[in-house]
Amino acid sequence: MQQKRIPLSKIVFVFLVVLGCQQEKKLPFLGPKEVGKQGDTLYHKIPDFKFLNQDSLWVSQKDMAGKIYVADFFFTTCPTICPTMKTQLLRIFDKFAEDDRVRILSHTIDPEYDGVRVLKDYAKKLNITSPRWNLVTGKKSDIYRLGEKSYMVTAQEDANEEGGFVHSGAFILVDQNRHVRGIYDGTKEEDVNHLIEDMTLLLKE
Amino acid sequence: MINKFAILGLMIIGISCESREEITRQQYVVEGMNLYQTNCANCHQVDGSGLKDLYPPLAKTDLWQRVKMSELACIIKHGQKDSIRVNGKPYNAYMPANPKLQALDIAELMTYMREKWSPNKTIFSLDSARYALKNCP
Ligand code: HEC
Repeated sequence: MQQKRIPLSKIVFVFLVVLGCQQEKKLPFLGPKEVGKQGDTLYHKIPDFKFLNQDSLWVSQKDMAGKIYVADFFFTTCPTICPTMKTQLLRIFDKFAEDDRVRILSHTIDPEYDGVRVLKDYAKKLNITSPRWNLVTGKKSDIYRLGEKSYMVTAQEDANEEGGFVHSGAFILVDQNRHVRGIYDGTKEEDVNHLIEDMTLLLKE
Repeated sequence: MINKFAILGLMIIGISCESREEITRQQYVVEGMNLYQTNCANCHQVDGSGLKDLYPPLAKTDLWQRVKMSELACIIKHGQKDSIRVNGKPYNAYMPANPKLQALDIAELMTYMREKWSPNKTIFSLDSARYALKNCP
């Protein structure tokens, strides 16, 4: 058998390309973009918010400053996808247990039933602790507006749905500066694996 | 060659000797698995381990000694809201009813759950399911 020599320059070239690609792998910015006064791009941003968490404490954008977080929408009596979503969020919670730069923010879409006391009970049963994982409640219209306009998920009351609400099982990844960087299906384990990889990537930014 | 036929023959005899009930049981197990995965696994998990203190386990639990099979059929159909103790640990959450599940579905589900997690791996027959559901509290 004759051996073919690969020229060194080719190897170096391939190496550089691979290296270059790795450095360029960055998460996209999602949502509507605007052009700023200086002609720069203004990425979609989560606006200010203020909700009560399971410990009766206010949670706002200030608590998320400099953190990356995963947001989702659920309700405690949801019979269908929420339990799956919570199973997956618990994986994330455990995975980043030692990392204070990571938060989870779960909004109830049934605030009439899911008051602070119900959320506290739910949190206790799942071993969820604030501030790393806030379960929040508030005014229904505020939560729905934030969900649809800012996190780009559907959340609506619908008497025909099991449990009385329609909502997507999405997990939304938000970066240190309130930009949406990824949307994942929180009911699928593989999608959540992907989310965990992306979180690790985002923490390096 | 003869050997091969002999083996085949034995296999056919073996299969046909399997009782009718065992064949039905195996069908129930397969159907029951699908039903379990669509209706129950989100809360109780595919492996029946439950979810922390919120959803009780169905595997490795005293359920199979504590609860009568007829009661189990009723829990599945009508849900449950009481406080219960599972392996000595209290649970008091809410399990939704499953109005869409018919007697056959419940027979299949329970046969599957028995096969996976109960020491008693027998069929839960359609008749038993019908009877249990008629007499739910
Ligand atoms: C929305 C989540 C949810 C779903 C879906 C669900 N369960 Fe449950 N299940 C529960 C909860 C919560 C309890 C505890 C109820 C209580 O505290 O009274 C429970 C209790 C039970 C029990 C009694 C356990 C014991 O040890 O006494 C059985 C059996 C059971 N479920 C079977 C099923 C089966 C079979 C299905 C599918 C048809 C199912 N469950 C679907 C949440 C759920």
